[in-house]
Amino acid sequence: MTPVIPSGTPPAWAGELAGEADPELVARVVRLAATTWATPERIRQVVDTHLDGPTPTAAAVVETLERLAAAGRSLADEKAVAAAARALAAHRVRVRIPGEPGYPPRLLQAWPELGAPLWLFEWTADGALPDGPAVAVVGTRHPTLDGVATARELAAHLARHGVTVVSGMARGIDQAAHLGAIEAGGRTVGVLGAGFGVDYPRRDGAVRQSVWRAGGLLTELLPGTPPRKRTFLWRNRIIAGLSDMTVVVEGRSGSGALHTARMAISQGRDVMAVPGPVRSPTSRAPLDLIRDGATPLTRIDDVTDALGIAALLAPSPDDTTPPGLSTTAGTVLPLLGASPAQPAALAAQTGATIPAVMAAIAELTARGLAAGTPRGVVRVRP
Amino acid sequence: MVGHAATVAMVGLQAVPVTVEAHAGAGLPGLQIIGSSQAAGQAAERVRTALSSSGVSLPGRKLLISLAPADVPKGGARFDLAIAAAVLAELGVIAHEVLARCVVMGELALDGAVRPVSGVLPCAASIAGTDRRLIVCDANAAEAALVEDLDVVAVDHLGELIDVLTGESPPRGAGQPCATVPPAPPDLADVRGQPEARRALEIAAAGGHHLLLLGPPGCGKSMLAKRLPSVLPPLSDADALEVAAIRSVAGSGSGYLDRTPPFQAPHHSASVAALFGGGSGVARPGVISLSHRGVLFLDELFEWPRSVVEALRQPLEDGVVRVARARATVTYPARVQLVCAANPCPCGGGERCSCTDEAIWSYRARLSGPLADRLDLAPAVQPLTAGDLLQAGGAESSAVVAERVARSRDAALARGWDGLNAHIPAHAVRRTARAQALRILADAVEAGELTGRGYDRALRVARTCADLEGSELVETHHVYEAHAHRLGLRSPQAMLAR
Repeated sequence: MTPVIPSGTPPAWAGELAGEADPELVARVVRLAATTWATPERIRQVVDTHLDGPTPTAAAVVETLERLAAAGRSLADEKAVAAAARALAAHRVRVRIPGEPGYPPRLLQAWPELGAPLWLFEWTADGALPDGPAVAVVGTRHPTLDGVATARELAAHLARHGVTVVSGMARGIDQAAHLGAIEAGGRTVGVLGAGFGVDYPRRDGAVRQSVWRAGGLLTELLPGTPPRKRTFLWRNRIIAGLSDMTVVVEGRSGSGALHTARMAISQGRDVMAVPGPVRSPTSRAPLDLIRDGATPLTRIDDVTDALGIAALLAPSPDDTTPPGLSTTAGTVLPLLGASPAQPAALAAQTGATIPAVMAAIAELTARGLAAGTPRGVVRVRP
Repeated sequence: MVGHAATVAMVGLQAVPVTVEAHAGAGLPGLQIIGSSQAAGQAAERVRTALSSSGVSLPGRKLLISLAPADVPKGGARFDLAIAAAVLAELGVIAHEVLARCVVMGELALDGAVRPVSGVLPCAASIAGTDRRLIVCDANAAEAALVEDLDVVAVDHLGELIDVLTGESPPRGAGQPCATVPPAPPDLADVRGQPEARRALEIAAAGGHHLLLLGPPGCGKSMLAKRLPSVLPPLSDADALEVAAIRSVAGSGSGYLDRTPPFQAPHHSASVAALFGGGSGVARPGVISLSHRGVLFLDELFEWPRSVVEALRQPLEDGVVRVARARATVTYPARVQLVCAANPCPCGGGERCSCTDEAIWSYRARLSGPLADRLDLAPAVQPLTAGDLLQAGGAESSAVVAERVARSRDAALARGWDGLNAHIPAHAVRRTARAQALRILADAVEAGELTGRGYDRALRVARTCADLEGSELVETHHVYEAHAHRLGLRSPQAMLAR
């Protein structure tokens, strides 16, 4: 168990992981990453000790960390370092370090005091993350049908305007956002709450694969690191930091989406929230954010307007009744919204009979204008 | 000469004639029964004691009793009276030719009293129209008298049997038919609000479709289900006799003909045998057969063991249930209308439900695809609102709904269909539908919202909607309505597909 003392000549593997960055610094960072000791919280403490002077460089922070680790006998041994390097190389990972080439520029704005990571493991299909504007679309793992549809449409809209959609790969809103961007032929970046090579979310390898192809995957965790509550909190600051703006689609009180939004605010980024029905538990996080000053997203275009991107397409169609509907379907449609409606209430409201309302519901469902959910009928916008 | 007495054994619902032969011959004194492995020893002792209690002294010879045919399962004490009669004929107490014109059924008490047996109605039906009289105990006489064209003689003691057959006393008939009026089923007027569920109930009644009521606890799912028999047309003579015969075999026969369609609501802890029929030797009818021509109500559908729910599929499809046991495989009719009830989500649902859509979908996945495919209508039953409770005018009564149901069924009969819409082959229904209407269902199949079987079932429901409206052809709005009533039955995958 000989601790690895940083030496002058970087090992052979460092060159491949570094890309255009300094291989020596990359080797030292991988050695630090191989200790379980160098958590984002500990790095933050070290950064804080440097804040009195000029903006500290990554190298300076790394040096202090190495000194502390050596003093506390926390340095990784040669075997662990070699294993970490092998695993990173196996995933064809690039190690990104603040101040070195390839580190995401928006994240660099948050270095060091706003919590940008000291290293990032980046895995992309074409060697670099997409550039240009980026927006994080985040939300609950347990969305409603309407939430999923909103996240998809929002992501597709952003993608069509050349905006990269950033999210956290979780099931629900996050994946809906990734898939919406991919379906629109745009770019998307997934930030993982687990290391590469961990099947999390389980059996979603195909989704990770398609996000990897459409932009890239990022994490600061070594390959094989299992997901934990804190790793998701660490992940959230990277999602917010990578993006010009964070949009929260649906979330319960105390949800991870709320945490991501707070991270974005603390990094000085804009936050938008999609308002939902007041009585729905999935509206809690966005409504609380709006109350506390976030911008409500009232139309899908709002997000591109806020970024200062001109609309590429015609404005979304207004609420005219689609042609060819039966009379009852035409009167039922405007009454439908995101909150589930019951046939009995629709009949009472329109004065139509129950058979007519039931027929109208099935007609609207068949036309893709409404959807039957376990709680009732909701409006769907194609 | 050997003494002969005719009686009837039951194999399932089937009455099988059995001949009892008695012969007194040389050998050790005693009474031995052959041709029946079950409980024969007990029957011999009972008959011997009952005969001596009735003042008949047995000779010091060996009495051999044979029950034929030997390969019919013959359990229980139902042959006691016939055995005693055969012995009496062999001993010359009663005349052979008098006994030859009788069929005798009954269990004997040690003091000679005659006790009731099960399955008297189907037995009586099997000998109606012949010149033979049926001799049963008083308790069975009213039930046997439900069968027309049959002379029923009631006896309450072995002594009375001897007196009647020797001409000492005049035979007693079955007496006046039972004056009991069957209790009326609860009325639909008690149900407030629930327009969607009421409509589904009406369609189900008119077409014989299967129903799944989804709603939070206390919203009135059981209340609605219990009122389905009140809107169904009364049973025809043949159907009522069939229902009574099953009850008779199950041992719960009554002295009057109940024309109200049966309603059975087994608890979800019921065993497979209790539901489908079972018991050792020859299976007895289960709850599903007791609800033949009526309503089988499964409350808390998701609490039922999966094996039981899956086993329901075959009887629902075939209208009969086959139960194999060691001695015989019997077939009981089981043409039931299935009504299920379930909570809409794991927490029970209602206003304060906070289940995620995901949790609801995985809960609904318990309704396995194949069973969901055999249900037709899945209305949501809403929790009552204050407005519903304060509603001044009473809701529609069962009589009004029953009239519409009857009219709808007449429309199906007028087409020449010999069954409920739910049981008509799909190709026959397709011929009465507009091509445009069929197109809608075909599109739904294409979109993954309906399975092939779901297509046929939705079409039959649409046919019933058209009949209720008095429309000759199935129009698009009928098909749309039928599809809307099925929305709650879709698999989670189909819900997410759109």
